[in-house]
Amino acid sequence: MIAMIRTRPLLSLLAAAAFTLMLGPVVILTGVAFTAGETLAFPPEGLSLRWFSAALDYPPFIDAFGTSLLVAAVSTVLALALGVPATLALNRGRVPGRKAVEGLFFAPVIVPELVLSLALFQQVMVGMRVTALGALVVGHTVLLLPYTVRVVGASLALADPRLEEAARGLGSGPVRTFFTVTLPVMAPGIVSATILAFITSLNNVPLSLLLTGPGVATLPVEMLNYVQSSFDPVVAAVSVLLLALSVAVAFATERVAGFTKVFGR
Amino acid sequence: MLRRVPMAALLIPGLAVLLFAFGYPVAATLAWPPDGDPATVARETGSLLTDPYLLPVIARTVRVSVLTTAICLLLGFPVAYLISRAPARWSGRLLVLAIFPLLLNTVVRTYGWIVVLGGNGLISEVSEALGLGRVQLLYTETAIVLGLVQLFLPLMILSCYSSLSQQDRRLEEAARGLGSSPGRAFRTVVLPLATPGALVGCTLVFAGAVTAFTTPQLLGGTRERLLSTLLYSRVNVSLDWPSASAIALVMTALVLAVSALSGRLGKIGSTSS
Repeated sequence: MIAMIRTRPLLSLLAAAAFTLMLGPVVILTGVAFTAGETLAFPPEGLSLRWFSAALDYPPFIDAFGTSLLVAAVSTVLALALGVPATLALNRGRVPGRKAVEGLFFAPVIVPELVLSLALFQQVMVGMRVTALGALVVGHTVLLLPYTVRVVGASLALADPRLEEAARGLGSGPVRTFFTVTLPVMAPGIVSATILAFITSLNNVPLSLLLTGPGVATLPVEMLNYVQSSFDPVVAAVSVLLLALSVAVAFATERVAGFTKVFGR
Repeated sequence: MLRRVPMAALLIPGLAVLLFAFGYPVAATLAWPPDGDPATVARETGSLLTDPYLLPVIARTVRVSVLTTAICLLLGFPVAYLISRAPARWSGRLLVLAIFPLLLNTVVRTYGWIVVLGGNGLISEVSEALGLGRVQLLYTETAIVLGLVQLFLPLMILSCYSSLSQQDRRLEEAARGLGSSPGRAFRTVVLPLATPGALVGCTLVFAGAVTAFTTPQLLGGTRERLLSTLLYSRVNVSLDWPSASAIALVMTALVLAVSALSGRLGKIGSTSS
């Protein structure tokens, strides 16, 4: 590594700047969270855990975290339930206009999330009187669908379709072939897609932004609203708690499916 | 036998949900918002594109996004290069470090900048200590660009890395062995072969920057509005549906145009090389 830095001094300098920009603000925010003072300040004015207890005593954050977990769990399951059969058909079936149909499943990626948020608010929440929670689940399902289709599809594309033909040729029925051959082939993709979809939903801001109701908002949106009206370090403490959770998720992901395999695509 | 089962039927639930929860609402909102019709949206879009107050918002959005993309490329490419060429032990660690921010939500990632850039923030304190007086970088375009660069660097790094890690490293070694300097080998061998990945990265970052909301809202405030924050205020503050639809239309068009353009550039690149 030292040798590389020596042969490429300029590139190494730029890379160091990149890491500083990416991680510096998060490191500073972590310091701020442990302040004993009343305001956002770095270096912190004395050390204390008061803002952590303040964060855990603030019911809107707890409720919003519950909403976020619920929306992430339900929409991940729905996106898998819709996406896995779709990607199976796209990869293994005869689908007329396959490219175009595939394009439809990836279309939600192209439209700005804030525009989808506005559309769901106007047409589904106001127009069809669906609750905020319902609109959040529907919106997040649409948001996650491209991920499940693509990630599970990637593991199907890697497997030889003749495996299934061989199983059929050896006398296995379609249901048995699905459960003994196709499903095991898709399994790693399904695990990756589940983790990726869940985290993507949990972190979303623009789509969830307008889909709020009385007492219903996701945690990132609640945090955003809080920091725009107050200047105390409560949200810094919440951020550190989420940071700790993310580190735990990263380690768990590394054990289950490989961290860079899941998040590095 | 598997083929005789109409597998295409498995697409129907997904397509139905896409139609109900994506296609219909988006089309209706863009063309036929409440209190309006296609004619009102067209009129609003026209005035958006000529209004002396709104035109600078579009220009600022494009400027901020172009700058963000350029800086991400300048800083992200070297990271991707180092990761692809470093010894295995290091490359794994650096890659994890570059990806990890993607697990944090944008409020967590952006909030720290307020401490760094504010009137009483780190940079301001340092500047005062140096006798240069206090500086307020918060609520400026610079702040928005810094925040967006932080946000999108992982995407750029991953896109460049996917091209760089597939390159045969012996090509670069061959160029060096034939007498090229490290700089020349980099410019004539590494860079051209990495262009497709870099192009994908630029598209992703530009589209992300045009549509990002949290960062311009927190770091640009009401003073330095971008299309996304303007759209939000039209919906939340003034409840002006046709005008919100017009902004949404311009935003969507901008993203589609860039994706289409980069698709074409990618094709030109692949046929000429």
